Amino acid sequence: MLRLTRRFVLTAVAGFAAVTLADIGANDAVAAEVGQAAPVFTGRTVDGQEVNLADLKGRTVVLEWTNHQCPYVEKHYGTGNMQALQKTATGKGVTWISVISSAPGLQGHVSADKAKALTAERDAAPTEIVLDPEGTIGRMYGARTTPHMYVIDPDGVLVFAGGIDDKPSARWSTVENANNYVRMALGDLQAGRKVGTSVSQPYGCSVKYGS
Amino acid sequence: MIEHPELPRPGPGFAHPQARTGLPVIAAWLLLALAVLLHPGPAWAAADAAGPKVAASLTAEPAALTPGDPFWVRLRQDIVPHWHTYWRNPGDSGQPTSISWDLPPGFRADPIAWPVPQRIPYGPLMNFGYEGRVDLLVRIHPPAGLVPGETAVLRAEAEWLVCADICIPEFGSFETALPVAAQTAPPPADRAAAFHAARAALPGESPWPVAAALADGQLRLDLVAPQLAAALAGGDRDGNAGAGESGPRLVFFPDRDGVILNPAPQKLSVVDDRITLTVAAADNAAGLVAEGLSGLLVAHLPDQQGEGATAVVEGFTFTAAVSTQGPGDAAAAGGAAGMNGSGGLLPQALAGIGLLQALLLALVGGAILNLMPCVFPVIAMKALGLAEKAGAAPAAVRLHGLAYAAGVLVAFGAIGGALLLVKAGGAAVGWGFQLQSPVFVALMAYLMLAVGLNLSGLFTVGERLMGLGQGQVGRSGSGLAGAFLTGVLASAVAAPCTAPFMATAIGFALTQSAPLAMAVLLAVGLGMALPYLLLTWLPGALRFLPRPGAWMERLRQILAFPMYAAAAWLVWVLSQQSGPTGVIVALGGGVLLAFALWLWQAARNGSGRGGAGGRSAWRLAGTAAAVAALAGAVALTFTLRPPDGRAAAAAATGAEASRSGAGPEWETFSQARLAALQAEGRPVFLNFTAAWCITCKVNEQMALSSSAMRALFETDNVAYLKGDWTNQDPEITRMLERFGRSGVPLYLLFAPDGSTEVLPQILTEDVVEAALRRLPARSADRADSGLSPGPPASQAAPVIAPRPDHGADHA
Repeated sequence: MLRLTRRFVLTAVAGFAAVTLADIGANDAVAAEVGQAAPVFTGRTVDGQEVNLADLKGRTVVLEWTNHQCPYVEKHYGTGNMQALQKTATGKGVTWISVISSAPGLQGHVSADKAKALTAERDAAPTEIVLDPEGTIGRMYGARTTPHMYVIDPDGVLVFAGGIDDKPSARWSTVENANNYVRMALGDLQAGRKVGTSVSQPYGCSVKYGS
Repeated sequence: MIEHPELPRPGPGFAHPQARTGLPVIAAWLLLALAVLLHPGPAWAAADAAGPKVAASLTAEPAALTPGDPFWVRLRQDIVPHWHTYWRNPGDSGQPTSISWDLPPGFRADPIAWPVPQRIPYGPLMNFGYEGRVDLLVRIHPPAGLVPGETAVLRAEAEWLVCADICIPEFGSFETALPVAAQTAPPPADRAAAFHAARAALPGESPWPVAAALADGQLRLDLVAPQLAAALAGGDRDGNAGAGESGPRLVFFPDRDGVILNPAPQKLSVVDDRITLTVAAADNAAGLVAEGLSGLLVAHLPDQQGEGATAVVEGFTFTAAVSTQGPGDAAAAGGAAGMNGSGGLLPQALAGIGLLQALLLALVGGAILNLMPCVFPVIAMKALGLAEKAGAAPAAVRLHGLAYAAGVLVAFGAIGGALLLVKAGGAAVGWGFQLQSPVFVALMAYLMLAVGLNLSGLFTVGERLMGLGQGQVGRSGSGLAGAFLTGVLASAVAAPCTAPFMATAIGFALTQSAPLAMAVLLAVGLGMALPYLLLTWLPGALRFLPRPGAWMERLRQILAFPMYAAAAWLVWVLSQQSGPTGVIVALGGGVLLAFALWLWQAARNGSGRGGAGGRSAWRLAGTAAAVAALAGAVALTFTLRPPDGRAAAAAATGAEASRSGAGPEWETFSQARLAALQAEGRPVFLNFTAAWCITCKVNEQMALSSSAMRALFETDNVAYLKGDWTNQDPEITRMLERFGRSGVPLYLLFAPDGSTEVLPQILTEDVVEAALRRLPARSADRADSGLSPGPPASQAAPVIAPRPDHGADHA
């Protein structure tokens, strides 16, 4: 019986490995999985610089998928909720990367200048803004919605992925009493605790990938 | 409250004014009109790219509500083309529609009842939602203490996200006022039809148990569903939405995120009755093993009428534990989960039964058989046998017990073997099938008569033949044979009695492989022999029996009468099967048999006059004549023909109808009739019975014969169907199998909302009444057919749904 179980486990592991490898072949991406090393990416920022996740080892990183025309993004920026979180996080040494994966011609697709203007206009405070019009990074992380949030610990392990809070609504008023999972995850990391809520259901507009 | 000033705000939608009459309604309408003025917004007709994408309205089904009676309200969304709103699990992105209620005190709103969603791909993502028109239903429970004449105002704030390539959150404030009336006010016909259709679009509970397994990063769902499998076979095996829309397909919608990779194609395979759907699991799906799975299976089938016609879409909800077995193991485990070897549809409850439990149930059921009315004569015989053995040597007594048990087991083995053989031949048979043969029934009647005559003292078989409990334990050889034959006889009589526990166990057995089935049947036999075995094997147990004496002769004579009664009952059964001819054949055969037995006994006693030669000649002649008479009886019996199936059964039940007296009126069961009644939205009470089933007859007498019950059935508008299994009837056999049974009685209550309750096999008026009370929302659903998962009766019958006329059921 025990032997049988062991064989099943081995088979399952082998099978899983095979499937994972097949995924890499198919999508050019390692699926991001909470508890595993976050997929390493290189992105181009609105300043024309390259940012590589591998270079950010030792720092906590937040990834925020965004689309300024999406009503859910508008909720978090219009209420100042996102900016406040960005400022708190970066104030504690967190690297905050906003990622725009909208494809050319689709909602939320912006030039580097427009992105910078939006940041200024909204008084946003990300460390970097990465333009990902091909959706490469978005697909790598399985980003589905705007906003869709990820937290990577200093060891490069993905410790949170999902919706920013527990109020899947476009009503601005819902921000007030929401439990903000990103804030909670950052707090847990700061305190050296295991992240309590590591997965939540992302909500909002779909990421506007070019098919 | 902060709200984005530029968010498009739809005009609040309102209850359609049509067909509303009466002052309160007009008042309500004025209120609504006022609300329109206060909340100006672009009307649906004027919707353009910049305007709202959804025209929404809130409508209550009844024209007036009655205190304490739940009723339905509908949030209708008319969505502009190419845009969609979301299901409870929106998929990769989006947000489900939500409704926040502001109801009068004491009112309660159920969660939204979601109609069947569709897969809506967007780029590499996949959403679950609705396009076109969607009706979200909510059941409202008003308090019982409302005063007729009052008006109840229901207010709701709804929020939904509507998306095409971009997304727009929309909000709506709704209000609808309903007068409170003492009596149910049926809604106008068109609204009733619309609500009926909306309920029909809701998924029903899956009548087929679903087994789920997570292995190799794949989530696999297995179900055994013959009708569905047949409908899906040959179709598009790829559940990926957008492609292959025309062919039949099956799509899985998990209730929550993190179960499957939403956009991944869902691979369908259909092998015989077994349907397997495989889809890539979500990255963090491992938690499913601990938490279990719930979701919705949606079958898309092209209309039978042919090309381009609207597809039949039916959803089935299910929950399942998630195992971690690979595909190979699932085939084995599938047996336990699907429990199906014969194409029967077994309810979830039965699916949980393992072999061990089945054996245990079989054992208990067998023991209880000793108490069933039709086994009473057997108990009589055993009691006699035991009492006489009280003084015998313990070893001999034990041997006796073993011989009896062996007889029981051999008989059960033989019956089981015959049953399995017949079944293997493809016939739709079930437990008790042997009593469906008139010849068998007649022979059983003779057997009862013979045993009775023996007990009465007309003849003795003494040590020679059966013993029937009179065998001398001291002379172990003949005594043992007697005990063995007693066991055989007891089983033969007991076998048709489907005891409450045994029905499930044997239902299980008949769906298993032959060795397993046999094991269960033998466990029943062992259970039946168990009390006897315990009496003979437990030291000192026999001391508790009364001492033998002259009273035993008196008891024996008394016990003859249950046997005669049993014979009389069997002749009555025969009358149902073969009519008057059957009765005269059986009675004639009985007289011949009695004559033969008397003659045989007389000849053996050697009461002839004259010398030894004359005596032996007389003995020879007497015996020969007895054998001839016996042969005549048997020959006569075999002239009995099985009746002309349906017609005879209908005639038999028809004849009985007039006799049912004060009880609820009933009609003869057929799948078509059941379907028709369900389409009318009536609750249906279904009674599967047989003339030879004593339990059934007792139940009918106890629980279904009083005028009070008749009144109850009439009040609740419950239709009463009776299925008579006295003779072979594949339609009934299939129905029994679907509920995991292989014999009668079976009592089912079909609620208008599509749910089915299986009532206990021991029925009382209280049990029936309680079940009728549990019928959901009687008044609300009386007007239409409720939640029955399937299109309204006016449409063409769908292919697979749990619809009785296609074999599946609202289980």
